[in-house]
Amino acid sequence: MNSTNLETILEGRRSQPHQLIEVLQDVQDVYGYIPKDVMGIVAKELGVPLMEVFRVAKFYKAFTLKPRGKNVITICTGTACHVRGSQLLIDQVQGQLRLKPGDTTKDGLFTVECVNCVGACALGPVVVQNGSYSNHMTPGKLRRAIDKVQGKKKEESPHA
Amino acid sequence: MIEEVTLTIDDVLVKAVKGISVLDAAVKSGICIPHLCHVPFLSDIGACRLCIVENVNNGKAKITTSCTLRVQEGMVIRANSEKVLKLRKNIAELLVAHAPNSRAIQDIAVRCGLKEVRYPFHNANCVLCGRCVRYCSEMWQGNAIGFVGRGKDRHVEYPFGKRPDTCKKCNSCVLYCPMSVTPCGEVMKTGEEHLCGKCDSQMAMAEKIPGACVWCETGKSFQCARYA
Repeated sequence: MNSTNLETILEGRRSQPHQLIEVLQDVQDVYGYIPKDVMGIVAKELGVPLMEVFRVAKFYKAFTLKPRGKNVITICTGTACHVRGSQLLIDQVQGQLRLKPGDTTKDGLFTVECVNCVGACALGPVVVQNGSYSNHMTPGKLRRAIDKVQGKKKEESPHA
Repeated sequence: MIEEVTLTIDDVLVKAVKGISVLDAAVKSGICIPHLCHVPFLSDIGACRLCIVENVNNGKAKITTSCTLRVQEGMVIRANSEKVLKLRKNIAELLVAHAPNSRAIQDIAVRCGLKEVRYPFHNANCVLCGRCVRYCSEMWQGNAIGFVGRGKDRHVEYPFGKRPDTCKKCNSCVLYCPMSVTPCGEVMKTGEEHLCGKCDSQMAMAEKIPGACVWCETGKSFQCARYA
């Protein structure tokens, strides 16, 4: 199935080095990240040196080389959000999921990222969960959102 | 038919083949412009910024790197004006502060008239001149190394950190690296980096006798046995 996916991405784009970024974007959409072996195939099919593919994939922040979790939580740490306490949100996530920003949980459920600004400073602190924006986030709201995904809604209701 | 253009570099009329860079034209005519990242048969990227010149256009002087500036008819270039020398000295100072453990960089710093370094030393082992990267990709079509990351994380690396099969083990990346030219004395350890300045006497002579040649060998960016 994976190879057919790659086949459709590469169709009509073979031997066109200028299509590199578009192809990598599609790969990222399909796989959630850019796997190592896919990079090799892309390099071969587009006629671009592997080094170039690796360099481009490393250069742009939009591309990730590590597998990402099912749920991507993006915490804005821009100036406005920072002032309104985005550090508390990071602490909350770190404590609850035991990971650092940029990492993925072992069960592959969550990836936590920090970005510099999402452009919604008036609504800060902003947390983006799988593309949907949540405004005026608090550690409590964030904890409930994570609990909801983890599927333990009520069992720990008297939470410390 | 080779077209030639005439331009003025440091008040001297210089004839150059159309399409070559100002740096090449100057060096060919014996006008000294220090440079580090330029290798004659490779493309120029203007990474080291040492070869900056003033390009005077309509009475306005613009500072650009001469290696990426193509010659044009009637161009007026100031390669050794006071402003350029001051800026170049500062660039050399930053370079030598970043990576002092190289005779190539130490030589350039002295040649740019540097007497003391005001910045903290870093003892880095790369100045991102890109000589190795360009040599590998342009000379050997190897594409085995390249720049990875950006900003302060930019560094030279193999793809995925592993030597690829396209590497021909030619060792040119080491040969063309300015950091592979070890300093005159022993290798400086972290904490005891300094501006070498052992060849300062040569420069002192050049200052006293204007126009004296310090045998920097115009065209060789630094004094090492290899062509560089």
